[in-house]
Amino acid sequence: MDDVARVTTAAVEAESLVKHYRSRNEVIEAVRGVDLRVETGEVFGFLGPNGAGKSTTVRMLTTLLSITSGTARVAGVDVGRDPDAARRKMGVALQEAGLDPRQTGRELLVLQGRLFDMSAGEASTRAEELLALVELEEAADRRIKGYSGGMKRRLDLASALVHEPDVLFLDEPTTGLDPASRLTVWDEMRRINARGTTVFLTTQYLEEADQLCDRLAIIDNGLIVREGTPAELKAELRERQGLASDPTLDDVFLDATGRTRSRSAGDVQEVSA
Amino acid sequence: MTYAWALGQRALREAWRTPEALLPTLFIPLFFLAVNVGQAARIFPSGSTAFLHGQGYGAFQLPSSLLLAASFGTAALFLVEDIEGGYFDKLRATPIPRTAIVLGRLIAESVKAVLITSVLILLALIFGITIASGVLGFVLLVALTALWAVVYVGFMQLIALKTRSAAATNSAGLVFFPLLFLTPNFVPRNMLTRPMEIAATFNPVTYLMEALRSLILQDLAWRHILPGFAVVAVAGAAMLALNVRMIKHYD
Repeated sequence: MDDVARVTTAAVEAESLVKHYRSRNEVIEAVRGVDLRVETGEVFGFLGPNGAGKSTTVRMLTTLLSITSGTARVAGVDVGRDPDAARRKMGVALQEAGLDPRQTGRELLVLQGRLFDMSAGEASTRAEELLALVELEEAADRRIKGYSGGMKRRLDLASALVHEPDVLFLDEPTTGLDPASRLTVWDEMRRINARGTTVFLTTQYLEEADQLCDRLAIIDNGLIVREGTPAELKAELRERQGLASDPTLDDVFLDATGRTRSRSAGDVQEVSA
Repeated sequence: MTYAWALGQRALREAWRTPEALLPTLFIPLFFLAVNVGQAARIFPSGSTAFLHGQGYGAFQLPSSLLLAASFGTAALFLVEDIEGGYFDKLRATPIPRTAIVLGRLIAESVKAVLITSVLILLALIFGITIASGVLGFVLLVALTALWAVVYVGFMQLIALKTRSAAATNSAGLVFFPLLFLTPNFVPRNMLTRPMEIAATFNPVTYLMEALRSLILQDLAWRHILPGFAVVAVAGAAMLALNVRMIKHYD
């Protein structure tokens, strides 16, 4: 029975997820009813232009933001009803690498372990394993403020993995990185996913989504406007528009969000790494 | 409490690694002590000034410097740094009680305040000031100052959590100066002008200052000491309740 439950439990599920912010004279509808299902073991891409509701959705899924209405579950746990249990199931690396610059990499990982109820010894051992995983052993005892952008991202990834989460949320993990660092982070993501961790990735880089994601969803104006595998989404656009060759994911994105290439300048960035 | 202590240790490491934020906490209060004593000590000679209880004017001024040092807690500014840098969210994504995040900083602040207050008092002893209430008085002096430091920085943390702005939090620290000067800062309360006396009577910092001053100048005078601890207890309870409420509703 447990096995059946495990197979049918999605890694991430959201139903009619809504987030409203109250401003002085108005209510801003940042997310207007998102439905999502991410299967266990997937790398799921979550794309959208700036201000579309990506980060707001991720912050709700990761318990960092209250939910106005709707429900969300991570690894079967309702994030609104039992946020602490949900936090034990997920690892979170947000847009800005959330690190304390005055600690060393090792201190940061050990503290993270302690906050997930590890003993001092267990936390120390786990920190050592993770430093090896993200290849930061040599810099482990240096203060984080001296780390490069890529090193910070890798350490942030490691800190999100301290408690061996079922689901890893990565919010624009490669933004601002040089191509070499970006490739390193991609490799880390693949390795983490190969170990069985579901990855929920938000990104503005379409090639990144194309390279890494099994399935993806595009959000615009607080609503999911496309969902499927990259190949399915391209094939659907090709068929609908009668194109001679397969479109790119950029074309799918622009079609889904009603943008043109000139309008999207600044919203979407295309990169090759 | 384990989580709060783990986060408190981290905050202490942070303080140790930022001496440039710690040193003014020692230097500025000593500077004001020297300046105030230099300006007014000859007006109030110890031999003929009853309220000095036989000590120099420096002993009368020491509580002002201790309260000034207590207002220089850095926890709120480091908290804003955590918020701005994203580490605060990292902590909120862990399954620890939300209150541990604010309590950790307050624990660290209390340790820092005990050390800084002790250093200031020991320096004062070197310059001839004595603690008339003895060893217990010394302990109470350090405890009351440190507790006030925690209460004060706790209120600053509220500003930090509400505004998430270093500038706003920094400005809030300036609130202390009117509170410090609307007290019997230079002379006892009964020697103030009537409007100042009324203002000082309504100012809770007055009772802290009078408690600290009595510990330095007199033997244990509980009628002065207890109101000081009562102020800390009431303000501390309010501060803790508001901090817990604020962090639990932080979005």
